[in-house]
Amino acid sequence: MSKNLSALSGRQGLHNNLFERLGQLSEPTGAPEKEDLQKLADEFLVGSANVYGAATFYDFTRPENKGKKIYVCNGSACLAAGTQDKLRANLSTHFSEEEIGEMCCLGRCHENSAFHYQGHNYSGENMARLEQVIAREPGCDGRDKYRVASRGRAILSGPALTPAACSQVVETLLAQDPENLLASIRTSGLRGRGGAGFPSYFKMDACRKAPGDTKFIVCNADEGDPGSFSDRYLLEQQPLLVLAGLMIAGYVVGAAYGVIYIRAEYPESVDIIEKAVADMKSQGLLGEGIKGSHFNFDIKVIKARGAYICGEETALLASIEGQRPEVRVRPPYPAQSGLFGKPTVVNNVETLANLPYILTQGGEAYAAMGTPKSTGTKLISLDSSFRNPGVYEVSMGTPLSVVIEELGGGFHREVKALHIGGPLGGLVPVQKIPDLTVDFESFAQNGFMLGHASIIGIPEEFPMIAYLEHLFAFTAHESCGKCFPCRLGSVRGQELLHKAQTESYQVDPVLFNDLLTTLEKGSLCALGGGIPLPVRNALQYFAEELSPYFQGSRQAASKPANAI
Amino acid sequence: MKKLAYINDKAYEIKEGETILSFIRRQLGADYVPTLCDAPNLEPFGSCRVCSVEVVRSGNGHPKTVASCHTPIEEGLQIYPDSPAIQTLRRNIIELVLTDHPLDCLTCAANGDCELQTVAAKVGIRQVRYPQGRNHLDRERDDSHPYMTSNLSKCINCYRCVRACDEVQGELVLSMAGRGFDNRIIKSMDTTYAESECVSCGACSQACPTDAISDVFSMAALNATDTVRTVCTYCGVGCNLEVSKRDNQVLSIKAPYDAEVNHGHTCLKGRYAFRFYNHPDRLRSPMIRRNGKLEEASWEEAYDYIATRLSDIKAKHGPDAIGGISSARCTNEENYLMQKFIRAVIGTNNIDGCARVCHAPTALGMQRTFGTGAATNSIEDLKHTECIMLIGANPTAGHPVTGAKIKQQVMKGKTLIVIDPRKIPLTRYAKYHLQLRPGTNVAVLNMMLYYIVSEGLEDKSFIANRTEGYEDFRKHILAQNIDELEAICGVDRKLVREAAIAYASAGAAMSFHGLGVTEHFQGTYGVMLIADLAMITGNIGRKGVGVNPLRGQNNVQGMADMGVQPHLGPGYLDVNDSAVRQLYEDIYGVPVPEAPGLKVPDMLKASREGKLKALWIMGEDVIQTEPNTNNVRTALESLEFFVVQELFHSDTTEYADVILPASSFFEKSGTFTNGERRIQRVNRVIEPLAGTKPDGQIVVDIMNRMGYPQPDYDPAQLLEEEISQVVPFFKGVRWDRLGENGLQWPVAEDGSDTKILHTTTFKIGKGRFHFKEFEESRELLENADQFPLILTTNRGLEHYNSGSMTRRTSNPRILSEDVLLLHPQDARKRNIDDGEIVTLRSPRGSITLRAKISEVVKPGVVSTTFHFPENYVNNITSSVYDADAKCPEYKVVAVDIEKLAVSS
Repeated sequence: MSKNLSALSGRQGLHNNLFERLGQLSEPTGAPEKEDLQKLADEFLVGSANVYGAATFYDFTRPENKGKKIYVCNGSACLAAGTQDKLRANLSTHFSEEEIGEMCCLGRCHENSAFHYQGHNYSGENMARLEQVIAREPGCDGRDKYRVASRGRAILSGPALTPAACSQVVETLLAQDPENLLASIRTSGLRGRGGAGFPSYFKMDACRKAPGDTKFIVCNADEGDPGSFSDRYLLEQQPLLVLAGLMIAGYVVGAAYGVIYIRAEYPESVDIIEKAVADMKSQGLLGEGIKGSHFNFDIKVIKARGAYICGEETALLASIEGQRPEVRVRPPYPAQSGLFGKPTVVNNVETLANLPYILTQGGEAYAAMGTPKSTGTKLISLDSSFRNPGVYEVSMGTPLSVVIEELGGGFHREVKALHIGGPLGGLVPVQKIPDLTVDFESFAQNGFMLGHASIIGIPEEFPMIAYLEHLFAFTAHESCGKCFPCRLGSVRGQELLHKAQTESYQVDPVLFNDLLTTLEKGSLCALGGGIPLPVRNALQYFAEELSPYFQGSRQAASKPANAI
Repeated sequence: MKKLAYINDKAYEIKEGETILSFIRRQLGADYVPTLCDAPNLEPFGSCRVCSVEVVRSGNGHPKTVASCHTPIEEGLQIYPDSPAIQTLRRNIIELVLTDHPLDCLTCAANGDCELQTVAAKVGIRQVRYPQGRNHLDRERDDSHPYMTSNLSKCINCYRCVRACDEVQGELVLSMAGRGFDNRIIKSMDTTYAESECVSCGACSQACPTDAISDVFSMAALNATDTVRTVCTYCGVGCNLEVSKRDNQVLSIKAPYDAEVNHGHTCLKGRYAFRFYNHPDRLRSPMIRRNGKLEEASWEEAYDYIATRLSDIKAKHGPDAIGGISSARCTNEENYLMQKFIRAVIGTNNIDGCARVCHAPTALGMQRTFGTGAATNSIEDLKHTECIMLIGANPTAGHPVTGAKIKQQVMKGKTLIVIDPRKIPLTRYAKYHLQLRPGTNVAVLNMMLYYIVSEGLEDKSFIANRTEGYEDFRKHILAQNIDELEAICGVDRKLVREAAIAYASAGAAMSFHGLGVTEHFQGTYGVMLIADLAMITGNIGRKGVGVNPLRGQNNVQGMADMGVQPHLGPGYLDVNDSAVRQLYEDIYGVPVPEAPGLKVPDMLKASREGKLKALWIMGEDVIQTEPNTNNVRTALESLEFFVVQELFHSDTTEYADVILPASSFFEKSGTFTNGERRIQRVNRVIEPLAGTKPDGQIVVDIMNRMGYPQPDYDPAQLLEEEISQVVPFFKGVRWDRLGENGLQWPVAEDGSDTKILHTTTFKIGKGRFHFKEFEESRELLENADQFPLILTTNRGLEHYNSGSMTRRTSNPRILSEDVLLLHPQDARKRNIDDGEIVTLRSPRGSITLRAKISEVVKPGVVSTTFHFPENYVNNITSSVYDADAKCPEYKVVAVDIEKLAVSS
């Protein structure tokens, strides 16, 4: 993270955005040409190395992406469902190996067999009718269906906010004093839904108080956790709720600009949000002096280019600036020095989507839901291992078993563990389900993490060692590479587990534990720091299954013959 | 109340705003906590995590691991910097690093100077337990560049090079490419150093903790037996250098991190261009012209010969038939001795120096307005200013470390106003570029003054309390014809107005100027108007403001301070004043002359006219550096006796009767005064090259030989016994007091120094406004009809002036020739292609140069550097001088270009 690059990129700001330009240059062939990058570097004064360096970072702008035509989802849910080998085989009848890329993940965890083709995502049945997909036949737009339901009050999953209702929300907002509204957010007890559960009030308050006229509010719509698609639900089916939330947050912190950074793997989300922003503009809900007030607010939609790390807020801000999205040290916190060095709040989609409710119903009404420490509701996404995959809204504190049984309808295949809260979330053995309630505290106390509350079922027959290797491989692929523990440790972890499965090699448990501790304590951000959690869960709860792969085991000889 | 935090349960006082790492280092030493990605001149980055410590916050018994480099200290924090868990963590991180690092320490170039090696030993790595996995040990070396090298298989991805290129030099040439494990350092778009946009400053090489990014000298430095800190001679910034030596050889140069001037940074000249010092071309014996031929002679012979000849000439023609030209490359003490020799031993005020061709107008202009001819502020004020006005200077080439500091501020958003006929590199970042026609500074500055007055942006209280002559000045300013001025300078009045408003409205605005202001017919007035701008807006006497000349040579300031001016003795004291003469006579013990002497151009003229019979030059190649070469040749030919002290043969030594081989700055001690009045110690690194002597000793020898008892050259003694007694603002200067970072004059008797001048009053009481209207140079009035283009000269980064030093290094491999920049429009008109050799004609003569078509210049303007003597750029420059300070107008030459005639 370079102050110089932030400031230089900030000279052009969001109107002529370096990152957006970089992305556009990659669209014709999958990766930008060097001469175009040089021009871009000259225009923005940032040096060709930085533009090139940024381009080589993202999955969909780097040179290796050139010529890719179709992308297979390699997320955890599709992996666990075991659909992707067949999909690949099908695709290879139409595309060469070089033309098939990978994406992680497309948020089609409820249907699997997910792939991306020419700006659209497909899943489930589409695999069987590739010709029609390629021919872009009508009705073959890849649109998916999943269940959406709630238990208790639906504040995120009710009927979509209509333009008229949105306008109403804006009017209510403009009638409010920002200080009072901030107090109400404090009262609500709202905590960040991106995974960390940090009280939303603090960031907003710090940003509001930070000196400076220019501030930004950023919606982190880079829902990269494989297995989760609840933000996708909100972006695509509740766009005005999200945008109204963004505007409310902007009003509270004193930002005239909101940025919504949406992952490239959700092309439909980008389209829908862009349309919703355009609608809001045409309704006069964005721009200068909204509804005759002194409030100016505009929204910039930025399409990401494929990097999980951009879900980390400092990396996300660096990305918008066109820098390499590498995690930055704190302090300074974004609320002091964020986008282009200006005070900035970054909030997750779901967090923001809660704000219209708090605005209209008050913080107390919100706090009345859920538990005292985890207030409100939570969206949970269930993958295809459930009878009723989909997105469910429950009050915080709802027993996990209720979500699984009542909403999810139980499992349709035999499952030995649940991976909850993304790749960095805990691996919950099925026997622990009764101990858990859906709130930050219950998960933390039991040695897991609620995270973004996505749930992937790990099938009984899926080797846990392979799943752990997948987690390390994911981390290695997505590590920004800045901090030593994550850059090196993720690769070494993956190598150790791979070697244990493919050779007569057993991992030294002391070394493995050292590696996990190094990642946990040494990593700069939650990616390297978080990956040991599910691994340790697995070592604890699946010790027997994993023991053949580790030294000192009595069952050294009993590795399955079909180990990957 | 002291605020405390605890290290291993022991209480220490904390400083607000420091990190845990700096707190621990302050208490327990710099090496207590091992680090890899941390560097003294870089922002905390947090990539290596080796500096991790355990902390327990008050009221929370749970220990937490944090990286100490970027975690702020808190009151009551309990820190355990080497708990067992931390020791294990560090060892395990380094073990991971070693899984992707060649384990060839014993054969590695950095063996013994590798931070990874040191840290690995410190944390106690015994073995790498991981089985062999993917690695990057097969990356190719890059040896494409004369100085910079890389071997990225040894890279540990600490980003220190990338950050140095960004945070220190501001060049943004280095970055990382790829992601995660495959991250790798790139130069520009993944090319070699030679092909990249690298400016060879070496910041990356100095920053690298391993041998991944290095330079061709660093390996040799491992054999050093000693390092000596001294001061660079390649410009007026005054970078401190840490020179590694062995057996009287200079091995390599680094920039010390604790240097207040350069904070661990320097440029390719300072860092790499040192091999001239023992070049075979160095003069190693005195030479005397016998029967028209220069022949080697002993020092005794040479001294005898000189003493006899000078005494004869003095007896026959009087002392005023002799002149001396001193050198801004030499030390204060040497300059002091040189002027003393000319004044006290020869008995004339015919003493001048090479500043005549550069900053003489600055000294004069600032003396007239402020009473003191020196930078009002310090370079560190860049941190405090809001607006930087850069006039007629290209600091990223001429003063690279100051240029980098300006760039750092401007990239981060500070307002920059560039007033320059060329699009200098900094204009890319500037808010305003007033691309005026060369020679019209006075017009543009007057326009700015006009807008400041007419917009009512003057600082009325500053004007009332600190200045005089404003009312009259104001009337003249407002009476100007803006239409006319706009047409003269060729800059849109709206732009001038906006820039003027930006300068006047900034809370603190700072100006920097260079030879683009002084080397003009109206050079002195340009300087005075810059001073007027500062006064009218109250930008004087506080942090982040002022008028700050960028001094071209390392000791331009000091040379004038020491009295190398024909009318002013040491300390700028007027030789016409009998009390002043009394002071000098008391110290010198002999009478000193009263009549002001000749300036350099006047000496040359007097020689041509047969009035000046003998000339002594200490280290200047006047044939190359003075304008209108043919005139200079005639002047030197006309001399009866001509002595030159030099490092190398030059065009000028060709005319000498005696050449005295001098020692380079590596071979002597003394002090230089940089552009911010900072007197810094120059420390001898190696013994004088066999056969040579320090310039100061040569002067001492000849003084003695001519009957004046002067002790041997000893800078410390000379400072204490003479200079501090004569020069008022050196009163408290003592060798020992100067320390590593020097002192900024005036230095009071107690040794306290001065960062900012004129804080409450000017030396002359009140600042004086002077109005001067624009006047066209005679050069254009007389010649523009036949010679429609204007040539303006400038400098390149890679070479220093006439190149006698830098051309004797590897720098010519980076910049190998002077080229003529011309605008595409002018090229088209004359049917000239890029890269073609063209003839450049002026009323004085013609030269040939390679044309480079470029939009750096406007139509009608061409520019070239003058680093390659074979081009004799000064064959065509004019004899127009600044009317008052006699500085030549190198920046405006009426020329025309044509394709080189091809003989059929």
